[in-house]
Amino acid sequence: MKQASEIRQTIRAWVEQTSGKLQPGELQDTTPILEQRIVSSLQIIDMILMLEALAERPIDVADLKPGAFKDIETICQTFMGGPSR
Amino acid sequence: MITKLIDVTTIPGIHWYPNGQTALSGIPLMLASALDRLFQSWAAQYDAKEYQFPPFIPAHELARLDYFRSFPHLVTFPITLDPGEANLSRFAEGEPMNAAGELQLTIPSPISNVMTPAACYHCYVRHQGETMHAPTYLTTRATCFRRESVYAPLERQWSFSMREIVCIGTADEVKAFLKHFQQHIDEFFQQLRLPIEWKAANDPFFNPSHNPKYLAQKLDPVKTEMVFQNHLAIGSINFHRNYFGEAFGIRRDGKEAFTGCVAFGIERWLFACLAQFGTEYALWPAPFRQGA
Repeated sequence: MKQASEIRQTIRAWVEQTSGKLQPGELQDTTPILEQRIVSSLQIIDMILMLEALAERPIDVADLKPGAFKDIETICQTFMGGPSR
Repeated sequence: MITKLIDVTTIPGIHWYPNGQTALSGIPLMLASALDRLFQSWAAQYDAKEYQFPPFIPAHELARLDYFRSFPHLVTFPITLDPGEANLSRFAEGEPMNAAGELQLTIPSPISNVMTPAACYHCYVRHQGETMHAPTYLTTRATCFRRESVYAPLERQWSFSMREIVCIGTADEVKAFLKHFQQHIDEFFQQLRLPIEWKAANDPFFNPSHNPKYLAQKLDPVKTEMVFQNHLAIGSINFHRNYFGEAFGIRRDGKEAFTGCVAFGIERWLFACLAQFGTEYALWPAPFRQGA
């Protein structure tokens, strides 16, 4: 598995690339990506697949709780086991 | 499952039709009108502009919301016959209706409209393509149509009345608007001792396990319902994010506008108030009677 900082950077790059409507530097680790629809509902499944590949384990959609994908910080804590930068 | 708190069909002035609709008269009608005036007075706190919209909404507008994939089980269509004389004659001179009370249509016209499923949709359609220079507040009441598998008088109807108060603005403006209303309505419930709980909810998507919008709502709840006696949602507060702003090209502060609405199901409020306060008009709390 990749280092935590590398994982965080990979997630950030994926969100920026997938969204396609962010200005440079606009995406922070605490930017609410679902509330602001930076990641759309149609892109959530792709995001889960990306996170599964990064975490090297499956993510059970039925177990997902509200707020789990709030922002990059929360995603890292929830799925990658910590806030390391 | 629908369990009965009260049998409203025994109340004078409430007439239930088996096709999922209710006729109101007398005191129930007076109370329903008073409820709507109460909601209008709340809308006036924001100087919300009143609109009256038609009962149809163009299908292509709802298609922008992916409505037909998300809610095919709810939608109701207005349908007419192809106007060709031969087609009309065939219908009129044949057997227009069978023994089961079902119309035996000949060739129908193409369907390009939908019976309004939610009052606030009209607001976004009406303001599409606009740039807002300030937060915009609107209110409307509409007869809405949602096909359901089971109906119950006042509680779950094919056609029902919905009052909505809508905000179009920035994310912060909409969130402040919704927060204000949740607090205001909560104080109102407490003052009147109306047993309401706020509960997070999802829209009733078709085949939800296969719909990413359902998953998105689960992960980032946008709907909070006012649930009466753990039994019936009588209204809701909804944060749409910039979904409608994007779909209808509405902009605010240089970006796609955010929207939110407070929705009141008038028949459901009437049901809750009848269950809680009874049918004696004089015994209803004053705020409900002021507009009657």
